[in-house]
Amino acid sequence: MAAKPEQAVTLSISEAGWLSTFQDLGREDSEFMGVPCGGAADQHSAATANILVGNRRGAALLEIMGGRFAFTPSHDIFISITGTPAEVTVGGVPVPLWQPVCVPARTKVVISKATGGMRNYLAFSGDLDTPRFMGSAAPESRMGFPQRLAAGQQVGLASRYRGFSQPYLGQPLFRLPVPVPDFSPDVWTVEVVDGPETDRTPGIRELLSGSTYTVGGKSDHVGLRLDGPVIHPEGLGEIVSHGVPIGAFEIPHGDELIILGRSRTLTAGYPIVAVATKASLPLLGQASPGRKMTFRWVSQEAAVERWREQQRLLCALEERVHNLFAAVGLPFADETDSETPPGTRAA
Amino acid sequence: MTTQTPPAANLSRAPGIEANPFGDSALMLGIADDDPEVRRAGARRLRDILLEVRPYGVLNLVAGAESLLVEFDCLAVSHGQLAQTIRLAVAGLGLEATGPVPGAKDFVIPMVVSEEFAPDLPGVAEELGLSQEATLEALASSVLTINLLAAAMAPMMAGVRFPGQVSRCAEPRTDVAAGSVMVAGTSAIIQPFPGPTGWKVIGRTPLTVCDIREDPATSYRPGDRVRFTVIPESQWAELEGQFLRPAPAADQQPAPQQEGGTHGSEA
Repeated sequence: MAAKPEQAVTLSISEAGWLSTFQDLGREDSEFMGVPCGGAADQHSAATANILVGNRRGAALLEIMGGRFAFTPSHDIFISITGTPAEVTVGGVPVPLWQPVCVPARTKVVISKATGGMRNYLAFSGDLDTPRFMGSAAPESRMGFPQRLAAGQQVGLASRYRGFSQPYLGQPLFRLPVPVPDFSPDVWTVEVVDGPETDRTPGIRELLSGSTYTVGGKSDHVGLRLDGPVIHPEGLGEIVSHGVPIGAFEIPHGDELIILGRSRTLTAGYPIVAVATKASLPLLGQASPGRKMTFRWVSQEAAVERWREQQRLLCALEERVHNLFAAVGLPFADETDSETPPGTRAA
Repeated sequence: MTTQTPPAANLSRAPGIEANPFGDSALMLGIADDDPEVRRAGARRLRDILLEVRPYGVLNLVAGAESLLVEFDCLAVSHGQLAQTIRLAVAGLGLEATGPVPGAKDFVIPMVVSEEFAPDLPGVAEELGLSQEATLEALASSVLTINLLAAAMAPMMAGVRFPGQVSRCAEPRTDVAAGSVMVAGTSAIIQPFPGPTGWKVIGRTPLTVCDIREDPATSYRPGDRVRFTVIPESQWAELEGQFLRPAPAADQQPAPQQEGGTHGSEA
């Protein structure tokens, strides 16, 4: 690609929502150092937002949680917003989520009225200027890296986008094959596989698949606390503290069910009666207090298959975006770009 | 997947590795043995082997006291494939080889002991049946090894030469200051950031042990060795906020080294 030089853009944030932060897909290979990977709670929405503007999946973007978020760019920019359904306007005109959007210079973008889930992701074609810790822009508030955005803040963006005109419509219609999750059901169904203590907890299978649970108020990136029936394992001695995976269903001593999130404390000694499948983690990352959910048991094989399918759809989207952007002269991050950020090293 | 453990007879024989799925993208590793010390040493060795070998598909490792959680890309490998790779790696490198980690560094960490900084010292001394001075002496005369980095990169160190085990707080403290030196069992840990803990607080270092503006954020890693030295409160101000760096071969001096009393006084 005859890549244009990067242009320095300033994004002036006028309203910051309840809690908006810099974000990305999280830290790699950080957990043996005692630092949880962290990163976007809804990794599917975050990765898709970046793909839609031609970025690498792991590029820095913004995670917006609730309230009204508004900003104005100094130059033309190319963005996408994904995540839970919300109202998005550019210069007062409604634009779709889950599609690339052209924003003219000095035009206000407003994201508000999120429904269903709890997080929106806002990606910009180019590189956001943000601090990084262990190679990642993801917040790690326990270690003094909150990455929180405030009204009045100016955020830098280095972008190769130079505007895109479509002769007949204000916004281009790309018709990209975007896998958009369905946040509309009243009760979400989350798929789980056996955990190490499932067999020691008679009745837990029927209980989790036959009951409805409600996400409690003290839920965050560390974990979702669910109200609903629990059963404690039988005949277990003290469990020696061990590493815990994202999505583990812990039953502490009280009658509570906790599903661990990406910023979990890495070790614990509570029984784990189920583990959410990797493919269902993005949905859990959208669950807000009051959200009702139930669970469906699947085999390890089915869990991997579901994840493979999600990834296949993202790869297909990525390929379409690259072909299209190459054809119309929009910038996109090539695998072979030299300035590979630290986040993309093969594991 | 392990053979029946022979009763402590043949320790030179590599013990069996247990590998159990922890969800669709993680494997829990441990050593099948009745002796917790064998399980602990085995878990450390497993981590070192995996950090060295980096089996294909592995994304993250989380060390537990007697186990190792291996998180992996389930599209790259299956539980079974990864378990087999790990067994082959262990067979090749040996589970028993546990010398000091190559390149292990030494740290001397100054700490101030005062009523404010060491609220649990009287209780710990009483529990151990030692005087407060002898309790501190037991800590200062111990060469500790960093076993793992716990939450927020806290260095967890084993090998305090206490004559017994120190219990945890019945009621965890909710806000312990950064730099607090804490003990439980015969292990010690330093609180890198303010936060809750159930460990017993017996001193505080003026140094900053973890600083996310540094790269890496800590200068220690698992396998490094640590010695504590008690300094007078009057030295707090000049050391406060300095980033903890390894004890130099000779040149820099991280802490005024008052050679930690006579050695070997084991109370």
